[in-house]
Amino acid sequence: MIGASLRRGIKTLASRKIYIVMMVIVPLVSAFFFLNLMNEGLPLKVPSGMVDLDRSSMSRSVARNLRATELIEISGEYDNFNDALDKVRGGEIFGFFYIPRDFQKDALAGRTPTLSYYSNMTVFVPGTLSFKGFKTIAVTTMGGVVKTTLVSAGIGDDTAGSLLQPVVVQDHPMGNPWTNYSIYLSNSFIPCTLALLVMLVTAFSICHEIKTGSSVQWVATAGGRMWIALIGKLLPQTAVFSAVGIAMQGILYGFLHFPLNNHPMHIITAMILLVIACQAFAVGVCEIVPNLRLSLSICSLTGILSFSIAAFSFPVPQMYGAVGIFSYIVPIRYYFLIYIDQALNGIPIYFSRYYYAALLGFLLLPAVGLNRLKRHALNPVYVP
Amino acid sequence: MKITTWFKSLFEVWRREFRLVFTDAGVMLFFFALPLVYPLVYTIIYNPEIVTDIPIVVVDHARTSDSRQLARMFDDTQSIKVASYAADLEEARRAMREKKCYGILEIPSDYSKRLGNGDQAVVAFYDEMSLLLRYRAFMSAMTDIQLELGQQITMQRVSTGGLLTSDLAANGMPVKNEAFFLGDPTQGFASFIMPGIVVLILQQSMILGIAMLAGNAAERRRRNRGYDPLAVDASPVVTVLGRTLCYVIIYLPMSYYILTMVPAIFALPHVGSAADYMPFIFAMLVASAMLGQSIAVFITERETSMLVIVFTSVFFLFLSGLTWPRYAMNPFWTAVADCIPATWGVEGIIRILANGADISEVSRYYVNEWILAAIYFVTAVILARFLSPRLAKTTPPAKNA
Repeated sequence: MIGASLRRGIKTLASRKIYIVMMVIVPLVSAFFFLNLMNEGLPLKVPSGMVDLDRSSMSRSVARNLRATELIEISGEYDNFNDALDKVRGGEIFGFFYIPRDFQKDALAGRTPTLSYYSNMTVFVPGTLSFKGFKTIAVTTMGGVVKTTLVSAGIGDDTAGSLLQPVVVQDHPMGNPWTNYSIYLSNSFIPCTLALLVMLVTAFSICHEIKTGSSVQWVATAGGRMWIALIGKLLPQTAVFSAVGIAMQGILYGFLHFPLNNHPMHIITAMILLVIACQAFAVGVCEIVPNLRLSLSICSLTGILSFSIAAFSFPVPQMYGAVGIFSYIVPIRYYFLIYIDQALNGIPIYFSRYYYAALLGFLLLPAVGLNRLKRHALNPVYVP
Repeated sequence: MKITTWFKSLFEVWRREFRLVFTDAGVMLFFFALPLVYPLVYTIIYNPEIVTDIPIVVVDHARTSDSRQLARMFDDTQSIKVASYAADLEEARRAMREKKCYGILEIPSDYSKRLGNGDQAVVAFYDEMSLLLRYRAFMSAMTDIQLELGQQITMQRVSTGGLLTSDLAANGMPVKNEAFFLGDPTQGFASFIMPGIVVLILQQSMILGIAMLAGNAAERRRRNRGYDPLAVDASPVVTVLGRTLCYVIIYLPMSYYILTMVPAIFALPHVGSAADYMPFIFAMLVASAMLGQSIAVFITERETSMLVIVFTSVFFLFLSGLTWPRYAMNPFWTAVADCIPATWGVEGIIRILANGADISEVSRYYVNEWILAAIYFVTAVILARFLSPRLAKTTPPAKNA
């Protein structure tokens, strides 16, 4: 019976193009998309502007420094503040550096002129990078002026250095010392896309049977036992999705050498569990609403919301408590936590035990409504 | 005379499409529930805006008043909270593994000694790198502390050392620097992501709805041997225009809600004027409606539309340049992004809403939007006429059955 069910499951997969497209082509294309798009790792050379009203030797040296940093690229020099702001509004530059009139004169005369810099935080990443670039230059310039003053007052070069920066905080970004954005985004968005597709395909394959009425035959092939019918249908999909998922990991960790600081089996296991958990989640949805359109809607809804609620960018402890708990109802959250522990930080698997258990726990979900699903499968009514 | 019949059939198409929309719960879900609810849900997720009080653990090898002051300075920042002290790095690391902290500050034993000698003291900070926002918060806190401490100690040293009592001690640094954040001055996450996301929601929900309508029509035709009893007999041009009219009329109030009311509810950046963003979004809605109708020709089943369209939202989000800026994309992906109405929609709307640009300042995006609308109008008409014979069969078959 289980053999017949499996054969039927495989046959269904081969029967329609949409399965190959959604299970193999789309996930692999999406992996290629993210990795190719963010190939550079950091979007350096942020288009930026400069307004130099001083035109002195000091302001020119600031300009030279600005041009030399890799973070920003001075793509335009403007005559006044408003021109530069217009370019920011028009989206041509993401920020600008402003040197006031008589900057050099005031600095040397001790009248404390102000260097200001404007970053457009409307677009987060370039805004942040331009801010970082501007700030570095501003601080260096400031230091340079102080140093000149000190040295001219008769203090040695070395002493002047430690006088300027008495405390240095040395930053150690663990696991991602390059602060590579692709490591942040690809490691979460690629598996989350796969999770979305697993849920969609699972719901589609189950409820499509009910829509077309072939579900009667589906259950009959399994000898009337719903769980065998489900295994027969879903196990072939598990195999395909897991293979695709592991291939993605192969690209990430094997080919591109993204941080994988623990045994590869830890993250591979997590991927297989993620696929199964997502299938179980979708089966649960189908049991509650055994209707093709509604179950697909719910799976799309949760799948798309997962990208936000699973907290790939905004941390759960910062969310409202009543919102943050929803983070833990989507399987991808646990995969993401395992990835952080096992791949990025490479800590002992002991610390991730609950996450693996939670992914397994999703398997209990379908047990609840098996009979309900069977009833609907045996009396298929299509409600559009 | 001809022109009146033309308008009459346009009106006919529009009225029929309106009825089809309002009699289908599935389409209504996409056209109304999605744009109404999604912006609220997303904003509620991100509404805390900034990351504050991230727990860190301090490993203080110096145990002096200076080192305690340094730890206090970390604790005083908005983004960092000193959760506890650890005896050594190993203990701190354990706390990090148990997710009790996301950063470790290690102060060396010679910290005070070096400060007292007028040397440079180096402290180490270890960041847990799983989330970009946390790292960012740590970085900015660190730079601020470094600067503040530097100024304090330098001034102290300069004055106690009897050097240059005049300028430096009195005025602090001879040059000041000041950072200004445009658009999203508090650097909040919801304020950054929402103005862009809502544009994507408008485009995607509209295309989903259009695809579902097309799936319905295809299923009706299958049941009626190629004849759709609910289709209006009109030329492809009139059909495309009439339907676009229907979708845009539904979506204009939705857009007003999304671009005016939602930002007001959550106090998101909103310095633009409706006279600028409404015409802009109108262009994007027209382009999206045309794109949706071009895609819809290929939809043969009510539900497959969802399967095929839902996941594209993630791609479109990235292609819009909101998360990964457009200047850093390679020419291929830039070209792909150029073809999507939401790309220009996001670029334009965020600058109108958050930066207060007027429509002339984002005119290049606005023009691109209309170019896309024109291109997709042509493709929709051509596809409807040539590639889809089923769609053309709107005349009833001979009554022989």
